[in-house]
Amino acid sequence: MIEVSHLARTYTRGDGTPVPALRDVSFTIGKGEFVTIRGASGSGKSSLLNILGCLDTPTSGSYRLDGEDVSGYTDQRRSHIRNRKIGFVFQSFNLLPRTTAAENVEIPALYTGGPVDRERALAILGKVGLGGRAEHYVTELSGGEQQRVAIARALMNDPPLLLADEPTGNLDSAAGESVMKLLTELHREGRTIVLVTHDEGVAAYAHREILIRDGLVAADRPQPGRDTGGPAAAASASGAGA
Amino acid sequence: MNIGRTIGLALRTLSRNRLRSFLMMLGVMIGVASLTALASVGEATKQETMRRFKRMLGTFDVVIVNPGGPSTRGMPSLTSAPPVLKQGDAEAIAKEVALVKQVAVTQFAFDVDVKYGDRSVSPSIMGISPNWTEVRGEEIALGEGITAADNDAMARVAVIGEDLRKALFPAEDPIGRQIRIADVPFQVKGVLAPRGMGPGGASMDFTLAIPVATASRRLFNRDYYTGMMVQLRDPTQSDRAITDITALLRERHGIVPPAEDDFTVTSPKAQVARVTDVGSTLSKVMLGVAAIATLIGGVVIMSLMLISVSERRREIGVRRAVGASQRDILAQFLTEAAVVSFIGGLAGIALGLGGTLVAAALTKLPPAILWSAIGGAALMSILVGLLFGLQPAWRAANVDPIQALRS
Ligand SMILES: Nc1ncnc2c1ncn2[C@@H]1O[C@H](COP(=O)(O)OP(=O)(O)O)[C@@H](O)[C@H]1O
Ligand SMILES: [Mg+2]
Repeated sequence: MIEVSHLARTYTRGDGTPVPALRDVSFTIGKGEFVTIRGASGSGKSSLLNILGCLDTPTSGSYRLDGEDVSGYTDQRRSHIRNRKIGFVFQSFNLLPRTTAAENVEIPALYTGGPVDRERALAILGKVGLGGRAEHYVTELSGGEQQRVAIARALMNDPPLLLADEPTGNLDSAAGESVMKLLTELHREGRTIVLVTHDEGVAAYAHREILIRDGLVAADRPQPGRDTGGPAAAASASGAGA
Repeated sequence: MNIGRTIGLALRTLSRNRLRSFLMMLGVMIGVASLTALASVGEATKQETMRRFKRMLGTFDVVIVNPGGPSTRGMPSLTSAPPVLKQGDAEAIAKEVALVKQVAVTQFAFDVDVKYGDRSVSPSIMGISPNWTEVRGEEIALGEGITAADNDAMARVAVIGEDLRKALFPAEDPIGRQIRIADVPFQVKGVLAPRGMGPGGASMDFTLAIPVATASRRLFNRDYYTGMMVQLRDPTQSDRAITDITALLRERHGIVPPAEDDFTVTSPKAQVARVTDVGSTLSKVMLGVAAIATLIGGVVIMSLMLISVSERRREIGVRRAVGASQRDILAQFLTEAAVVSFIGGLAGIALGLGGTLVAAALTKLPPAILWSAIGGAALMSILVGLLFGLQPAWRAANVDPIQALRS
């Protein structure tokens, strides 16, 4: 599903000095895998995830998503891919204030060109355990609930790929665990999940771990995973071997 | 995102921050309101001016010849007018200008005492040729008008206006009564139908008409006229008639340009245009004021939108992350600006129409609503929103979603 090779991303500071966030990153992630990208703060994890999510483009190297080289795509086409193929979950939830849970979940559907299916938004909220909270303003919800609204939003257009950047970073351990259980369940349903974390405990939920250090892949190894016996177990093993 | 959905989103966003939305609307609202009211009041004034001219002249299908050159101001009377328009001129115009059907002449005077019994007033007095009433399309309400026989005989007969009738004969039938004009006895033979206000706002019914021959020989002892009304065979030919009459009178008066004419030939249409022109200079100034208000409204929209964009960076980032393109964001913010400005415009139109009705009630003029100006104002409010929303929308579209989503 994901194929990156010799990926590099160099930012330019305000004063013109280059900041190499990613130097030379190559790996493949198969359909249905549950992978964590782990590394210290500043190691380049978010930079990598933003490129995988088509929010950013690499300075050099290539990124193939479902066989398409998307690294040179226009904003319009990358936006379309984000809309249809990718669901984002962020550390800071990024819900819209003064807006209800259901309205937040519907946002991705606004950009499909088709109708907005309120029933579907409510069904997904039910699925993430917030059936009774649909009409609540997001500011009335707890952190764990807000993150589950964000996950529901990521699922609205039924994307095959979920990208999460430190999704438990702002949560207490109980809420964090329930979010990880939810992601594990979504993986079991067949979704590909790439999760960025600096936390080994969180990484343990996945089947594979890519370790990043100073913009380079330091290690790429299988993990036990917590959802043994799922349909993705085989894919995970083959992904780790690639 | 399609346009209907973008407008829906704009309306929801605007309703979430009512105070800011209201402030954004305010300037455009005031601008459009004054524009609407101005256009309507201007139109009402113009229509009323036309009506008054029409009442004064009776018809627009004539050419008017007055004594005095183009710099002459005011209504010419026997005391103010130079003695240049004579009977020979009237006859020459009627005979030698092919476009002319007939010429009516008048001697106009005021400050002349008119008495009946112990009542004494000083109305305006017009010596008129017998065809005057016909050329003006004037109606006699009671009795008879001035006839050719009256004029030929220099008869001492008078036709009085409605206001004069009220002043002299509040409770009597005036027909057949003897009045004294400058101590000369006259017999009342008719009453003119009321004509109402003239262009200056004064009543045109405090007046009295006598045969012009009687006026010039027996009353005033003057042989020149204060005005002529020239009826044309074809009213659409007034421009050519003016040219021909001017040429003829110059020849008769021995005037060679560049020497100034001692007479003026105009059409009522030209006079109305001149009067309403003065009005429209004023309304141009007011229009400028309204335009400036609208412009300030646009600037307010722009600055509040710019603030809104920086406050809503996270929202922009979220929308971009879930599939909004830069174009979608641009459209969203542009639409918001256009919608808020348009709503302000609609409120302004409502306000302006309200103002128009109030103005109509105060001035007692029938309100004239200029729909084209209102449509223009509505369109303009949308354009103002689009124009001043452009920079904020551009900035919104260029927000870096990665930066916006961090924190
Ligand atoms: N927009 C940017 N401009 C300049 N430097 C940046 C920018 N974004 C990230 N960096 C730098 O790139 C490096 C990697 O950042 P990031 O990918 O956010 O790391 P992580 O998510 O692993 O903490 C860091 O040194 C960071 O300071
Ligand atoms: Mg990070």
